[in-house]
Amino acid sequence: MKHFSEEDLIAYQLHDSSNETATRRHLEECVECATVSESIAETLRAFSAEPVPKLDLERNWQRLRGNLSVLGDDQPKRVGLRWKLIWPAIGLAMVALLVVIFIALHGSYTMKTRRNVAINGHGPLTTEPRDPAIADHLDSAERLLTEVNNTQGPLDDITREQAHHLLLKNAVYVHAARESGDMAQAAVLENLGRVLTTLDNEPETPHSTWRLRLEMNTSGLLLDIRILRQNDDGNQGAAQ
Amino acid sequence: MDRAETEAIREVLGGNRDAYRVLMDRHFSSVARVAFRITGNEEDAEEVAQEAFLRAYNKLPSFRQDSAFSTWIVRITMNTAINLVERRNRDLSYRAPRIADEPSAAEGTVRVADGQAGPEGELLGREAASLRETAMAALTPMERAAFTMRHMEEVPMSEIAEALNITVNSAKQAVFRAVSKLRRSLAPVAGGLR
Repeated sequence: MKHFSEEDLIAYQLHDSSNETATRRHLEECVECATVSESIAETLRAFSAEPVPKLDLERNWQRLRGNLSVLGDDQPKRVGLRWKLIWPAIGLAMVALLVVIFIALHGSYTMKTRRNVAINGHGPLTTEPRDPAIADHLDSAERLLTEVNNTQGPLDDITREQAHHLLLKNAVYVHAARESGDMAQAAVLENLGRVLTTLDNEPETPHSTWRLRLEMNTSGLLLDIRILRQNDDGNQGAAQ
Repeated sequence: MDRAETEAIREVLGGNRDAYRVLMDRHFSSVARVAFRITGNEEDAEEVAQEAFLRAYNKLPSFRQDSAFSTWIVRITMNTAINLVERRNRDLSYRAPRIADEPSAAEGTVRVADGQAGPEGELLGREAASLRETAMAALTPMERAAFTMRHMEEVPMSEIAEALNITVNSAKQAVFRAVSKLRRSLAPVAGGLR
């Protein structure tokens, strides 16, 4: 008697046998194959009764939903959006580039024409006088104003005469500063000229000189002149 | 595939994520069952079910709607579960059964069967689950998947073969090998199994 293989008997028990009737007939006659077949059936029964736990659908959905990206036409749109945005982006980049170039050129021009810009609260002061003779003028003006600022009482005649002389020269330097385009220096010199005019013309009263001293301090005129003069000295030293 | 599922897929593809809930409502149970059969534990089954639904969602634009979503998602689940089991097997320490005087399913321990205990009592007792688990652990992921799908879920061989991307004959051989191994694993303690 030809016996069935284990595979045949497993297929029979799983109802996957191609010849189920013949196998059943053989098992009725063959004790050996019937024993193996029953062993297979017992094994299958042992693995049939395992219950399946019920998983929480709602909890799993909530966990899953957080990981779901939005599908659909968004991806092509995103590509289209990128192309739509690319030209404005390029435009902005070009504008930014032009601004940078302009600032660089303007900064270069400023560096060439207006080095050492100082600020004392009244706007920038140039520290590079166009006329070298202005250094002497500024020095004289500073000494005069310092003397006026540090003395009390009415001005003497020598001081008034110095003021008058400086006032005449100052007008020339103001004009020169304006001509050269150095408006900051011209502004300081104009301020100096106003003080010198007052010194030259004001009556000799304690009140008038006090007002002058106050104006010089509050306006920072002395400080402006010192900055101009000191920088001018520095430039002259470097030139030598 | 019925109209509700077709409509749900259309909405999902149109950008409505919540429409995917319709598909999950219908198929989560079967996916969870398949996942549990192959992985053998609830924790991994949940992980597989999650991953399978996520994979299906991301692949939905390429899903051919002339086939059934249920077949498709089960196929994804089986592959996902097999991959997970293979990963677990690579980690030898993961869920490896350990011998203990008092077996505990929670701690993954089993007791060596002794000759004095009756075979019927062993199989019907609390050690039966551990013994089955040990026997199942000896199967390859492919054998386990093929066996559980065919025997426990009664999935036709042709569908198993398609899901596992193998021939029908290979699927049958995988099932046969699985049953043979299980039978031999249980034989020493079952007594009645020969």
